[in-house]
Amino acid sequence: MKLKKMVSVMVCAGMAASLAACGGSGSGGSTTAAQSGETSADTQAADTPAADEGADAAASGEGAAITLWTYPIGSWGNSEVVNSIVSKFNEANPDIAVSVEYLDYTSGDDQVTAAIEAGTTPDIIMEGPERLVSNWGAAGKMVDLKDLWDDEALEDISAVSEAVVNACKSSDGVFYEYPLCMNAHCMAINYEVFEQAGALQYIDQETRTWTTEDFGKALQALKDNGVATTGVVYCGGQGGDQGTRALAKNLYSAQFTNDDHTEWTMNSENGIKGLQQLVDWCNDGLLSYDAGAVASDELQLFANGTIAMTFCWNASNQANYASQVSFTPYAVAFPSDDGTPELEGGIYGFGIFDNGDAAKIEAAKKFIEFVCDDETQGPVSVTEAGFFPVRASFGNVYEGAENEETMSAFNSLMQYLGDYYNVTPGWTEQRTAWWNMLQGIFGGNDVTETVNSYVDTCNAATQAAMGQ
Amino acid sequence: MNKKGLSPMQKALVRRETISAYLFLLPALIFFVGFVIVPMILCLVTSFFSYTMTEFRFVGLENYFKMFQDEIFIKALVNTVLIVVVSVPAVTVFSLWVSSIIYKLNMAACSFFRCIFYLPVVTGTVAVTVVWKWMFNKYTGLFNYVLTSTGVVDQPVSWLGDSKTALWCIILILFTTSIGQPIVLYISALGNVDQSLIEAAEVDGANDMQVFWKIKWPQIMPTTLYILVITTINSFQCYALIQLLTSGGPNHSTETIMYYIYYQAFKLNQYGYGNAMGVILAIIIAVFSALQFKVAGKGND
Repeated sequence: MKLKKMVSVMVCAGMAASLAACGGSGSGGSTTAAQSGETSADTQAADTPAADEGADAAASGEGAAITLWTYPIGSWGNSEVVNSIVSKFNEANPDIAVSVEYLDYTSGDDQVTAAIEAGTTPDIIMEGPERLVSNWGAAGKMVDLKDLWDDEALEDISAVSEAVVNACKSSDGVFYEYPLCMNAHCMAINYEVFEQAGALQYIDQETRTWTTEDFGKALQALKDNGVATTGVVYCGGQGGDQGTRALAKNLYSAQFTNDDHTEWTMNSENGIKGLQQLVDWCNDGLLSYDAGAVASDELQLFANGTIAMTFCWNASNQANYASQVSFTPYAVAFPSDDGTPELEGGIYGFGIFDNGDAAKIEAAKKFIEFVCDDETQGPVSVTEAGFFPVRASFGNVYEGAENEETMSAFNSLMQYLGDYYNVTPGWTEQRTAWWNMLQGIFGGNDVTETVNSYVDTCNAATQAAMGQ
Repeated sequence: MNKKGLSPMQKALVRRETISAYLFLLPALIFFVGFVIVPMILCLVTSFFSYTMTEFRFVGLENYFKMFQDEIFIKALVNTVLIVVVSVPAVTVFSLWVSSIIYKLNMAACSFFRCIFYLPVVTGTVAVTVVWKWMFNKYTGLFNYVLTSTGVVDQPVSWLGDSKTALWCIILILFTTSIGQPIVLYISALGNVDQSLIEAAEVDGANDMQVFWKIKWPQIMPTTLYILVITTINSFQCYALIQLLTSGGPNHSTETIMYYIYYQAFKLNQYGYGNAMGVILAIIIAVFSALQFKVAGKGND
């Protein structure tokens, strides 16, 4: 193990150095060592008064300096907002210093991987279960957060969604994430273009849902009305792939994985039917695909008004693109054969890396409790993320806010939140295989054969991840 | 210098100079050993291990056997070699052609063209790539606008999304970002060709082609060799363009060894496997470079 550690540190130093030019970290807040709070678990066992003091400090986390790495989840990527949250935390906990580093979704995972291998991980990291639980948690890098998940929290969060509770723990029941907020990814249409084409009639505007049949009719209506490109099934990379997954699986109510999250199932009859339908629409000129575009490219085309719909929408995107659009982006659920969609979810929260320092772990837990559970700060933390609380007790956090109406529309889609299969082992391989599979079927490969091959790849990765 | 004939004073001076020379070299040596030699050794050692986030187990040559059964690696290898085979001669010939025209111009014009061709090099890969991505955009890109407006194509082309065009787009961008340095080097080399030899050849009745091949070409050969080697290495290490434009797609048609190494190491955490591929890439580059030295380096010291 000593050799591995040494090799890890040196290899990762090299890898991190070589990637530094490509990385785009934000403010790069410096990591401060917890000089005064460096009290290990061993010291707690000592019986001298000084050691007792140290043990107390470790238990309370006082005097520790901790580091938070956060992905750009709403305003959690904005240093002003995060600094303000840290300041409020410091009012109640002046002895705990928190430094923050901002990751992006392009290079953030690489930075974390390099940090894990070099032993320089942050204390706290903010993201979702697919990273915190399935990836780093499963690799034994994270701290068990069972003491944060007390009865009150469990009851409060379960009242909103049992799926959130299940997503935050590993298959053997260890909680690696403490959630803050959640959202449902949906699609959006250009309301005025749809109105002009007479295609609004195909959407149930009360529930913001539509059937697959009506979606097809809407595409035809748009085309007949001279819309050159109705929508783009992007498959140039994994960015925003939740949109294409939701589109393909909902068309004929397919399931992406089995209930146990141990096998991938898009090669079911309904899964293949949905993917074949997309290919047919593209061949008929009703939809378009682009193997050179990712979600951000498609979103820009939507914001420019070049296309009439986007498959990658949520409350955060609505806020981000609000100033760019000259039309009404109208959020709707993905079309499904029975009109009842199952939307992809996002569950965002915190995990703690196990750096072997009890004081830092305690301080990190205090910070997470303050951000997620505090009656005053909790709802603010949620609104800064731009999503919805996982706690029932927080109620409507957007009540009286300027964007209450918009958020209410997105909130109405939360009832369609489907199974959170992102925690399936082998998730990373699946993500790459998915857009490669889409490129294959849109490029003219046989749909059934290509989807079967994709599922085989994913299942092999899952079995390998599960140690079978 | 023969040390035997030196006086004690002279020997002391030589020793002092030697120590000073090594001290001047030391900072660079520390960085070279720390960031090149040690990682290379570790890369080689760990390539014999199943090395992931949770495992570090000796597997011998398993990673190497696995590599040559991995269809994506083979595809990446073929793509990488294609990039090298196309871009290296294209960059070298184009740079030589441009330089042979530019170097004769007056100082101001020569500097102007040098700046123009060197701009993509100093602009930075990310900025250049983003601009190319805009131009290649299927719906709003410049290329499709021109081609559809002039009736050359009926439907917009997904330049980066079509396996028939994607790799050629990458090679084109690589070409534009690679010619700057060779042009500057060639202009300098051509300017240093002995003018008296050229004049003597012309007096003897040599035409332009003969002057070029018999007088200039042998004298710029060391520069050509350097350009061939650095362009080959840069082409083999094509990574940023792929990462920023295609992620290796569509259907792995732009997958390169460097990008696949990154994917295995940083996305799948298969560090040992990624390092094994790195070793093979280093060997291939060494073989190519040795061949170039053998072929183009004849007569060059």
